[in-house]
Amino acid sequence: MQESSFRRGSIAGLPAGSGSALPAIILVGLFFIVPVVALLLRSVTDPEPGLQNYAALFGSDTYVRVFLNTFLVASVVTAVTILVAFPVAWMLAIMPPAMGSIVFGIIILSMWTNLLTRTYAWMVLLQRTGVINRALMGLGIIHEPLPLINNLAGVTIGMVYIMLPFMILPLVGTLRAIDPMTLRAAALCGASPFDAFRRVLLPLSLPGIAAGGLMVFVMSLGYFVTPALLGGTSNMMLAEMIAQTVQSLLNWGLGSAAAFVLLVVTMALYAIQLRLVGARRAGGGL
Amino acid sequence: MLLDYDRLGWLRVALVGFTAAVAAFLLLPVVFIVLLSFGSSRWLAFPPPGWTLKWYQQLLADPTWIDAALTSAKIAAMAAISAVIIGLFASFSLVRGEFRGRQLLRGLLLTPMVLPVVVFAIAVYAFFLRIGLAGTTIGFVIAHTILALPFAIIPITAALEGFDKSIEDAAIVCGASPLQAKLRITLPSIRIGIFSAAIFAFLASWDEVVVAIFMASPTLQTLPVKIWGSLRADLSPVVAAASSLLVGLTLCLMIVTALLRRKLSR
Repeated sequence: MQESSFRRGSIAGLPAGSGSALPAIILVGLFFIVPVVALLLRSVTDPEPGLQNYAALFGSDTYVRVFLNTFLVASVVTAVTILVAFPVAWMLAIMPPAMGSIVFGIIILSMWTNLLTRTYAWMVLLQRTGVINRALMGLGIIHEPLPLINNLAGVTIGMVYIMLPFMILPLVGTLRAIDPMTLRAAALCGASPFDAFRRVLLPLSLPGIAAGGLMVFVMSLGYFVTPALLGGTSNMMLAEMIAQTVQSLLNWGLGSAAAFVLLVVTMALYAIQLRLVGARRAGGGL
Repeated sequence: MLLDYDRLGWLRVALVGFTAAVAAFLLLPVVFIVLLSFGSSRWLAFPPPGWTLKWYQQLLADPTWIDAALTSAKIAAMAAISAVIIGLFASFSLVRGEFRGRQLLRGLLLTPMVLPVVVFAIAVYAFFLRIGLAGTTIGFVIAHTILALPFAIIPITAALEGFDKSIEDAAIVCGASPLQAKLRITLPSIRIGIFSAAIFAFLASWDEVVVAIFMASPTLQTLPVKIWGSLRADLSPVVAAASSLLVGLTLCLMIVTALLRRKLSR
């Protein structure tokens, strides 16, 4: 009798239970896999067969700078996000629920608010005559407005803002799964709070930090909207360059080649991340 | 003692203070944009010299904004419905199927969430140019359904994994047809998952900018495309008014979600 209901529903000739996935497979196959593969083929066939697009990509200082800048921005954003997210996740994991739920509510509100809305707010807040510069000057901390937009600072602030929830929420789970007894034991054995943090709490939360950090890094690598609006022309990122190459320059071959580079890097990092999360899950089941 | 809230001592003051500061940082742009939308300064001076509703009047008097909002709602609703239905069927296969490559299939169906959107955007744009779907509503819906599918599959498979299949089997033993058992036992049991899937899938399309920028035509614009255009041209306060309405919508959605979840989980 078991699985009878399912077998009957599956289509003859297909492996048991795979039939109901067919619509999804067709949709993703036809409108996702086919276009992406066609795009990648285009990188070696447009305008003529050969690797000239990749040669142009890696041979030009401009494009190499875009690659380096993309990695730089993603690294800075990831590092800042981890540093800011960890203490917050730590508190959320142990705070009284009444207080914690307010913070959770704020995190969800910011996460669900339209992406362009949030970026627009930062554009206004960070501009030369914006609130932040005025407040800092009013307090006498600075005398000249700081350049906070169309540069690395602007992109970092805007991106960290967007990535924080993606780091905080999984980290809370990791930290909650740590047995407080381990830290009590460390204290009983004479460890100072700093030692307990460095040698117990931090190593135990490292899998969560690594998995979350890798996710933030991967998302940052391919981000388009925020760098395009808050970044400057001198530190363009890969996603914006791809869009521009295709949309404004109509150079599909070069754009496809750059897209392929982005795809390979992203997917490789994603595979590592899956390993990490998988390993953590296996460990959590013990 | 580091995981005992009551025994953190001075460290607790520092950490709670830091958490409050980060919460304020997360709240700042949302509150700021709402205040800004009522400010009278065309140049977005803050604090504003006076308060006004004129940006909202301009917004509501402009048919292109209304059209864009309606287009967005229509496309997001269609994409969410398709993604939830297709995702529901796929989830049964992913959770209960017995075939090799099931994990691979799951990975495949979740890939659109991981691949940088810009890669998918230019790929599907090139493809749609060739088959004549670029700039059409149906093309928009297909592309957004693919992007929304992972957001539907994740909560539904999670709900389905938590559902004891023997209850469904029991219904069949008692004389229900397999379809009846699914419709009347299984689906109601995983309704919270389906409901979350619908919300996430809707938001995935409603907020989507990158594919939309490529897909849009002069006659077919979603709200994010309209906002994007205004942001590139100037920082008009009308955008602040539109953004504030979106914040209001988000708040409503959060409240409805919380209420429905409470009701459904009873």
